[in-house]
Amino acid sequence: MVPLSHILILSGIIFALGVVCVTVRRNILMILIGVEIMLNAAGLAFVAGSLRWGMPEGQIFVLFLMAMAASEVSVGLALVVYLHRRKKSVNIDDFRELKD
Amino acid sequence: MINQVTLILLLPLLASFINGVLGWKLPRRMVEAIACASVGGSFVFALKVFAAMREPYSLTVYDWLSFSWFPAPMAFHVDALSATMAGMVTGVSFLIHVYSVGYMHGEEGYARYFMLLNLFVFSMLVLVLASNLPLMYLGWEGVGFCSYALIGFWYKDPVNATAGRKAFIVTRIGDVSFGLALIWLFYFAGTTEIAVINAQAVAMMPVSTATSIGLLLLFGAAGKSAQLPLTVWLPDAMAGPTPVSALIHAATMVTAGVYLLMRMFPVIGISQTAMMVIAGIGTLTAFYAATAALAQRDIKKVLAYSTISQVGYMVMGVGAGALTGSLFHLFVHAFFKALLFMAAGCIIQALHEEHNIFRMGGLMDRMPAVFWCFLAGALALAAAPGTGGFFSKDEILAAVFSQGSAYYTALWAAGELTAFITAFYIFRVVCLVFLGDVKAEPRKVSATMRLTLVPLAVLALAGGLINTPANWGGTERLSELLGSQGLAGNVQVTHPWVVQGVSAFVSLSGIGLSYYMYAVNPGMRERLALRYSALVDFLYSAWYLDRLYYKIFVTPYSIVADFLWHRVDEGAVDRSIEGAGLSLAGAGTALRAYVTGRASTYIIATVIGSVLLLIYFTWSIR
Repeated sequence: MVPLSHILILSGIIFALGVVCVTVRRNILMILIGVEIMLNAAGLAFVAGSLRWGMPEGQIFVLFLMAMAASEVSVGLALVVYLHRRKKSVNIDDFRELKD
Repeated sequence: MINQVTLILLLPLLASFINGVLGWKLPRRMVEAIACASVGGSFVFALKVFAAMREPYSLTVYDWLSFSWFPAPMAFHVDALSATMAGMVTGVSFLIHVYSVGYMHGEEGYARYFMLLNLFVFSMLVLVLASNLPLMYLGWEGVGFCSYALIGFWYKDPVNATAGRKAFIVTRIGDVSFGLALIWLFYFAGTTEIAVINAQAVAMMPVSTATSIGLLLLFGAAGKSAQLPLTVWLPDAMAGPTPVSALIHAATMVTAGVYLLMRMFPVIGISQTAMMVIAGIGTLTAFYAATAALAQRDIKKVLAYSTISQVGYMVMGVGAGALTGSLFHLFVHAFFKALLFMAAGCIIQALHEEHNIFRMGGLMDRMPAVFWCFLAGALALAAAPGTGGFFSKDEILAAVFSQGSAYYTALWAAGELTAFITAFYIFRVVCLVFLGDVKAEPRKVSATMRLTLVPLAVLALAGGLINTPANWGGTERLSELLGSQGLAGNVQVTHPWVVQGVSAFVSLSGIGLSYYMYAVNPGMRERLALRYSALVDFLYSAWYLDRLYYKIFVTPYSIVADFLWHRVDEGAVDRSIEGAGLSLAGAGTALRAYVTGRASTYIIATVIGSVLLLIYFTWSIR
């Protein structure tokens, strides 16, 4: 059996990749993907925990996570489409109206 | 049940309410009619209550605080003292209300004026008729408020408003003392009923307690009655309209302090020390104010100092145990002093608001009715033999003389000296105002004003009939009435003829000297005034008492207040709060640089924050 620590290290690497993706990229779509990667990294850690202690709650949580991720992506993409219509751009730095 | 005692009180209150709420809509005549009729009605009921009274009784109109340990029902006590006092108050008030109709003719704010005047009468009656101390205190404060509001009636002139405030604050100092005495009496007797306290006082109170309470009551009375050391407000109170001076600052309110002392006499009488201090303060005040009246140039100021002086006699009478004498003098004084003030009001109005007696003169032929009435009042004040003032003042002096001890004999001598000065200063006014050359031509004053003087003049001259001493073959009605209810005090007059003889001599010689100096030989007066100008200044400023108080109390107070305002409030409190606000605003400005509006900045900040939190939690778990 794969030891827990290996899976957690993998999960950490994936999470870090997601964080880097979110912080470094300027494209809104890429940021959303980064968020998804981070969510999946967390899901992986849940599953690993569930396997390690033999408890089903971790897997159930992952199911919730998937449903949440799906709905989040649909709302997020709708917002991206809307933003694109307004400014013909998906660059995050073009949207600074919050400051004013 | 509405009975006559409540009606005495309710009528002025109702009139005050109507005039206060609707007065600005009602026609002037209506306001005046309501005000006068209510007090007149009150007077009638007071007479009926007095006539029907056989023995003291109390009646409760309304329970107040009945569940607490400090019950203060709206209860009224009718006995010889309160009933006669209520009759005097309503009677004099009625005349002054009628006089006011003439005096305030053409003044703005008549509704406010009559509202306050009626409210004053109501408060004064509450004070007089109250059967317990808290209710009496209510009336006491009520008259104080009305006095304040009426002194500052022409409030647009800041001088008048200041005079009102001064009167309010100075009397308030005395009120604190009265309040302390009230609480102490309650603590001691377990009740605030005056009759119960008085009945139990003699049996249960140690002399030292009685002394302290007596002195506290004296100080309270000194505030209201303008006795030393709280005299300074009354001369300034003359800023109010003249009828107000006549009613509040001569006839009724200033005698409230004396009334309080008479009411609580069984308590005070326990302590010989308190009695001696009271008599001493009274004598000292009488002498002080009489000398100050000698040099005044404003006719109302002369009368104001004269009031202080005469009230001093009443306090002196209480201190000698002569309650009858004090009450007698209180009545006669109310008559003649109201009369003098009202006559002075006629003169002032006739001469276009001239107050200075040195710019008056020769009014005897121009205003004969006012002259004869003023002369009647002046004779009574000077205690010319046969007038009301002679009998009443003499009864006090005789009582003081009869005490026999060296202290009281000295007080008596000072009282006689004061009587001489009194006769001198009031005839100084008479000579300057009515004799000599005409300096300003008077205009006509209304008949209402002149007519109201007449009954008071009759009362001032014939007031002696209330209580003619036995050695004149009269009946001492007031003594008998008060004595039958145990309210007459504890004094036996000896040698009545001696005291009367001295008083008569003193009074007549005072009048004579005054006439000589001011009418026959005015050159001598001018030479004397020049030679002793420092003394004249000293007396004119009333022994510099006002200035002294300013130095001792007002100046340090304003320095402290200034320090607290500028240094503490503005310097410390305001600045620290402003500093806190400014530093937060500075922090905000500095932090604003980080709000770029770029989402990536926020994301990075979030990430860094999360990492830091993670490190912190890991750290703290371990």
